[in-house]
Amino acid sequence: MGASDDIGGIMLKSCRALLAALSLSLAVAAPAYAQEKTGAKPGFSLMPGTARIVLMRPSIRVGAQSTGGMYEPNADWTDQARENIAAALAKAQTGLGNSVVAYAEPLGADGAKVAEYRELFGAVASSVIEYQFFKGNRLPTKKRKDQFEWGLGPDVRALPGLDTADYALFITTEDHFGSTGRKVLQVFAAMARIPVAAGVHKGFAGLVDLRTGDLVWLNADMQMGGDVRDAEGADKRVRQLLEGFPGKPVEASVVSAPAIAASPAIASAH
Amino acid sequence: MSIKPLVAPVALVVVAAFAVPASAGNKLVPAGQRIAVAKSAMTVQPGTEWNKLSERPGRKAETWTQDGDELNDLTFYGGIESGKPLFREVDRKNQPLPKVSATMLITDIPVLLENSYRIALGAASVRIDTIEPIPFAGAKGVHFTYTFSKQNETLQRRGDARGAIIGGKLYLVTYEAPSLYYYDRSAAAARVVADSVQF
Amino acid sequence: MRNPLPALVPAFLLAAAMGTAAIAADKRPPLPTYTQAYTPTTVDERGLWMEADERERVQRESRSLVKDPALNAYVRGVLCRTVGEDRCRSVRLYIDEVPAFNAFMTPNGAMVVWTGLLLRVRSEAELGAILGHEFGHFELRHSLKDFRSHRIGTDLMAWASILVRNSGNLQYAMVGQMYAFSRDQEREADMTGFQYLARSQYPSSAAADVWVNVMGEADATAIGRKGRAQHKYVAGVFATHPTDLARATYLRAAAIEAHDVKPAVVDTHQAAMAKWLPIFLNDQIKLNDFGGSEYLLANLAGAGGWTTPLLCARGDLYRERGNPRDLVSAAQFYQEAIARGDAPPEAYRGLGLSLLRSQQLAEGRAALVDYLRLQPAAPDAALIATLVAQ
Repeated sequence: MGASDDIGGIMLKSCRALLAALSLSLAVAAPAYAQEKTGAKPGFSLMPGTARIVLMRPSIRVGAQSTGGMYEPNADWTDQARENIAAALAKAQTGLGNSVVAYAEPLGADGAKVAEYRELFGAVASSVIEYQFFKGNRLPTKKRKDQFEWGLGPDVRALPGLDTADYALFITTEDHFGSTGRKVLQVFAAMARIPVAAGVHKGFAGLVDLRTGDLVWLNADMQMGGDVRDAEGADKRVRQLLEGFPGKPVEASVVSAPAIAASPAIASAH
Repeated sequence: MSIKPLVAPVALVVVAAFAVPASAGNKLVPAGQRIAVAKSAMTVQPGTEWNKLSERPGRKAETWTQDGDELNDLTFYGGIESGKPLFREVDRKNQPLPKVSATMLITDIPVLLENSYRIALGAASVRIDTIEPIPFAGAKGVHFTYTFSKQNETLQRRGDARGAIIGGKLYLVTYEAPSLYYYDRSAAAARVVADSVQF
Repeated sequence: MRNPLPALVPAFLLAAAMGTAAIAADKRPPLPTYTQAYTPTTVDERGLWMEADERERVQRESRSLVKDPALNAYVRGVLCRTVGEDRCRSVRLYIDEVPAFNAFMTPNGAMVVWTGLLLRVRSEAELGAILGHEFGHFELRHSLKDFRSHRIGTDLMAWASILVRNSGNLQYAMVGQMYAFSRDQEREADMTGFQYLARSQYPSSAAADVWVNVMGEADATAIGRKGRAQHKYVAGVFATHPTDLARATYLRAAAIEAHDVKPAVVDTHQAAMAKWLPIFLNDQIKLNDFGGSEYLLANLAGAGGWTTPLLCARGDLYRERGNPRDLVSAAQFYQEAIARGDAPPEAYRGLGLSLLRSQQLAEGRAALVDYLRLQPAAPDAALIATLVAQ
C-alpha cells in the first residue's frame, strides 16, 4: 500500500485506528484460548497402495518481523522455503508409499476456476477453525462426537489435471522471523511486564478426497516449529503440518514433537 | 448477510492475530419446531437443524448457518423501520447505507439490498438476476435471486431473498452461499424455512 | 524528510522571472532515469516485488476486472501518450470495476485503474495527469521508500511504548511523521506526473483541473450528507496526501509557468467511454452519495450537455433518494430523456415508478405499460405487471 495506493486526498486515516493496529501488533503473544488443531473424517483412511496426491500451489510467505512488528517479506527465504517444503513433503509421503506431484496450474478460464476453488478451500478451512476447532464459537451441530463433515464438493475433480489423482493437498504457511531488534525489544518489554511476541509461525494443511470432494483432514497450527529456510527445519515443519494425517501416522518413525511444546523454542531460535 | 467490516489496510502493519469472536454462544435450532426470529413477530419452522449465530447483522436481524456464515447464511430481517439501514453500518459518516422508507415500492426491496451490499463490500460486482412477485406471509411480496463477490475475490456467492413491506416495515429472508457446491447443498433446507414464514 | 516542493517551486519562479517565453527543455526539471526491465536488488525491494507478484495473481482473476479490449486499449493509449512509448510498454494494466476515484501502481509495475476514475475525468489529458502521477510513484520507487519510512516509524513507536511512560504524545508525533513522509511523496509524484504531462501532447493545465473537480465533489458529498463542506486548507497530521486545494494550487502555478501552447488534438475520451458510461453511472448512483453523484453528473453534463444516459442516471439518483420532491424531479428527468428519442426502456420504468410513488397512479401505470411493451422479457416484468394491475 503506502505511497502508490491511492490518489484521493480524501482518505484520512484516523489516528486511533492506526494506534490500535500498532498496539495489536505488539500484543500478538497468542492467548492460550481453547483451540483444537486437527480434525479428520472419522473412519477415513487413505486408499490402500499408492495414493496419488496432487499438491495445489502452496501459499508460502517467509519474511522478517521488524522491531515494530511489521512484516518484511523476503523473496530469497520464500524461494528456499518453497523448495525445502516440497522436498520434505515428497520425502514424507514416499516414505508412506504415496506420490506427491505439484499441480500444474491451467491458464485462462480454468485458471480462474482453480482460483475460485482455492478461495473456497480458504473459506472452508476458516470455517472449520472458527466454528469447529475453536470451542468458544463452535456450532452446536458441529459439537457431536467424532464428527467432521466438510468439503469442496465432488465437482472439484473436474478441474483440469485432477481427474487422475486421488487427493488434493492444500498447504499454507506464514513465517515472520523476529529480527534482532524485535528480540531485544522483547527482552526489554519482558522487564516492563509487557507481553511482546517475537515471530509469527503459523500454517495449515488440508487433504481433499477427489472422489467425493470431502475434506478428510485439516490441521491448523498458529505456533509451528521448524525453520523452513533450511532442509532440516522444513522436515520438521512438514511433520507438524501433517500431524493427524489420515492413514499411517507420519510421525511414527520420528520422535513425536508436539507443536505447542516446541513453539517457545522457535521464537528464540532465530 | 455475512459481510464483515472491510478493515482499511492500515499501512503495512499487517496484524496476524487470529479472529477471536467477541461473544460466543451459538445456539442449536432444532428441526420441526416453530420459532420466532429476529426479535420480531415473524416465525418460521425449519425442516432440518440449523445453528443460530450469537452475532447479529443488526438489531432486528439474526443469522442461521449450517457450516459457518461464509459457507451458508440464512438471515432474517424482522421489520426494519423507516429510516433504518438493512444492517449495521460500518462507517456511518463516510459510507452511509441506504435507508428503508415506508413508501418503498416492492420493486425497491431488491435495490435496497443491492445498494447496501455494493457499499458494504466495496465492490460493484453485485447483480440482481431474477425478480418475481410472490405472496410473503399473506402479503404481496417479492422473490429475487442475486450474485455477488467481495472486492478482489474470485469466489462467487449466490443469494435468494424473499420479503415484503408490511405495516411500513421491511421483512426479508435471505439465503446466501458460494456458488460452488455450498449453494445447492443447503438451498432446499433454506427454502423450507423461507416458505414457512408466518406472523 | 524535507519537502521537495520548496525546491521545485522557486525553480519555476526563477524561470518566470528570467522572462523566458518558452522554457527551454533542458531547463525543465529532469525526469527520473528510465531503466528498461528494471529488476529489484535489495532484500526489501525483492520482498515487496514478490508480495506484489502474489497479489497480481489474485488481481488477474478478479471478477470485477473489466476485460473489454477497446477500453483497455484506450487507457493504455493515454498512458503511453503521457509517459512515452518506452516507459509504458512494460506496464500491465488492470481496469477494476470499483466506483471510486482511485488508481495505483504496484511496486512490480502493474497499474490498477478503478472505473470511478474513468468516470470522473473528462478528457484524455485529465486521465493522463492521473496516470502520469501514478507512474511517477512507480518510477520513483515510492512503495519501497514508504515501506522503509513505516518500518522506522513503527520501530521507534514500539520502543517508545515500552521505554517511555505515557508515550501517547510521542507516538502521535511519530505517526504524524510517517504521514508527512507520505505527503512529501505525493507532492513529488505530482510534480513528476506534471513533467510527463508537460512533455506530452496534452495541456499541462489538466493536472490542476482534476483536483479542482475532486474538491468540488468532496464538498458536494459532505453537503449532501447534511454536513459542511469539508475541504481543508491545511493537511492534517494524519493526512497521507496534501490537501486537494494545495495540489490544485501548485499544479496550476506550474502549468502557468510552463505555459505550454500545444496544438489541440481530437479528444477520444467521450467516444471511448460511450459504451461503459451507463454502467459506470449506475455503479455511482448506487453508492448512496446524492451530493457527490449530483456534482459528478453536472460536471459531465458541463462537458457534453445533458445526454440521455446522464438524464436517466439523474432520474435514478433522485428516485432512489425518494423524497416527495425528488420523485417529481426524477419524473421530469426521465421525461426529458424520453423526449430525446433515444431513451432505453428503463427510462419508462423509472418514470412509472416515480409517478406511482408520487401517487400519480394512472400516469405511472401507463409508463410501466410502455416499459413492458418495449421490454416484454425484462427480468422484472412479472413484478412490474403486478404494479400495473393494482
